[in-house]
Amino acid sequence: MKRIMVLGSFTLVCMCFPATAMSGFLDSLLQPAPKQNVDRPAQEKVAEEQPGLLDGIGGLFGVKKSEIDLVKKGVGVVEALQPIGEEEEIVLGEAVAVEAFSRFGGEYSNKDWNRYINLVGKTIVEVSDRPNLNFHFAILNSQEQNAFAAPGGYIFITVGLLKALKNEAELGGVLAHEIAHVTKRHMLDTIRRGAVLGSVSELSLAAMKQDPKMFSNAIEQMTDLLFTKGLDKGKEFEADVVGLDYAYRAGYHPQGLKDYLQTLAKEEGHAKSRFFTTHPSTTERISKINTVLNGYSDIQGLPFLTARFQQYVKAE
Amino acid sequence: MTPFNHQKKQKHIGDSFIIHLLFTVIIMLFSIIVLPSTSWAETWYAKQDGVKVTAEKSSSSALVETLSLGDAVTVLSKTGRVFKVKTKKGKNGWVFKFRLSDKEPSSDSGPGLSSLIGRNTIAARESRAGGSIRGLKETTAQYANDKKIGQEHRDAVDRMGAFTLTTDDLMEFKKSGHLGEFSGDAQ
Repeated sequence: MKRIMVLGSFTLVCMCFPATAMSGFLDSLLQPAPKQNVDRPAQEKVAEEQPGLLDGIGGLFGVKKSEIDLVKKGVGVVEALQPIGEEEEIVLGEAVAVEAFSRFGGEYSNKDWNRYINLVGKTIVEVSDRPNLNFHFAILNSQEQNAFAAPGGYIFITVGLLKALKNEAELGGVLAHEIAHVTKRHMLDTIRRGAVLGSVSELSLAAMKQDPKMFSNAIEQMTDLLFTKGLDKGKEFEADVVGLDYAYRAGYHPQGLKDYLQTLAKEEGHAKSRFFTTHPSTTERISKINTVLNGYSDIQGLPFLTARFQQYVKAE
Repeated sequence: MTPFNHQKKQKHIGDSFIIHLLFTVIIMLFSIIVLPSTSWAETWYAKQDGVKVTAEKSSSSALVETLSLGDAVTVLSKTGRVFKVKTKKGKNGWVFKFRLSDKEPSSDSGPGLSSLIGRNTIAARESRAGGSIRGLKETTAQYANDKKIGQEHRDAVDRMGAFTLTTDDLMEFKKSGHLGEFSGDAQ
């Protein structure tokens, strides 16, 4: 009897073990794949204001109106943390893009190079976590080595940086890092948190049209972040990891970004670039990227496409 | 019938029930193990329009079907950078796995990429002489006016937004570099 019970228990355990978990387990044994970093931004809890409720309760307990207003203002701040919609994101991004051209020497006019960076960029976007967002890529006429991502998929690379690259995998690595900033909504997340400080109360499309000053403030905050202060270190590291994975998915050797950062590290302390003040130290980034690269087991055959890069971006 | 015999018979009936139950469970477990893998296969979804299902692992092989955003497929097996799938139309083929998602795309996923780059002309690439090709948004134009940002920078954003690539151009670029769905071909 005891034997029957033991056998029965074992059978039931086998039955209850989820099939999906089993297949995942077997997959990882048969084909160890690198961890895909496709986590979605966490949904934040948003408190809902209930008009009249606070006034009513406050009145019952004899709380002054000014104090009630303060509490209501607090609730309004939590409301400002609501995610910014894609339409609003594109509207904000377009205005930031005008600033990018204005501050970094304008457009670098070269149709072939422009087409090339768009081809590389779109190849990566297709395998990213926002493949249906229409990304745009442009070259800025500045010798300073830098790259930016404005919300809504406006990606910039300076001609100085483009010329410093050695191959297409490096270009793919740089663009993938910027694409990751957009897919992870890093700028929007930062600006939403900035809203807590009270400078921005609502970023709806209607509000942006009705209140140009508020819109202007939002753009100023973003350009300040993008061109002066930089995003926080955590977001930069996340963009490195996610971007590296996008480059890998697109078929580039994911070492591209690291190779470029090594070139850049040699210039750190010598070259004058805002890149160094808006990004964490390149040595620290390289070290973290090395750890991530060790997790990829099937990258040996992936291309760097040096010849094609040289063919498109000839040294002047 | 003595009470002793009655108890013995009840015990016998109880054992018999457990044995039958166990036998049924074992048969079910056996069936699960030997059932075709399709019974346990996962459902994945096309992340965008224009996802190719090909006859062989190589994306250069014959086209079996083209998936649209949100189309579900049953994954039959996983190998390297491709999945063997069965489409809703009952066709079997191979798909580049990074253009599939294990989560069903939400309704606000927007238009497929093909609708954005699928035009057969690249007219928008040409620079404009006077008026806007696409036109900046009202908010951007207002902002640029307020900040006195030069017209050339506004035009640059306009050109940037209007630039398009053809599907064929992108496909050829990926193919020649062994990228995207062609990346497995080189390995």
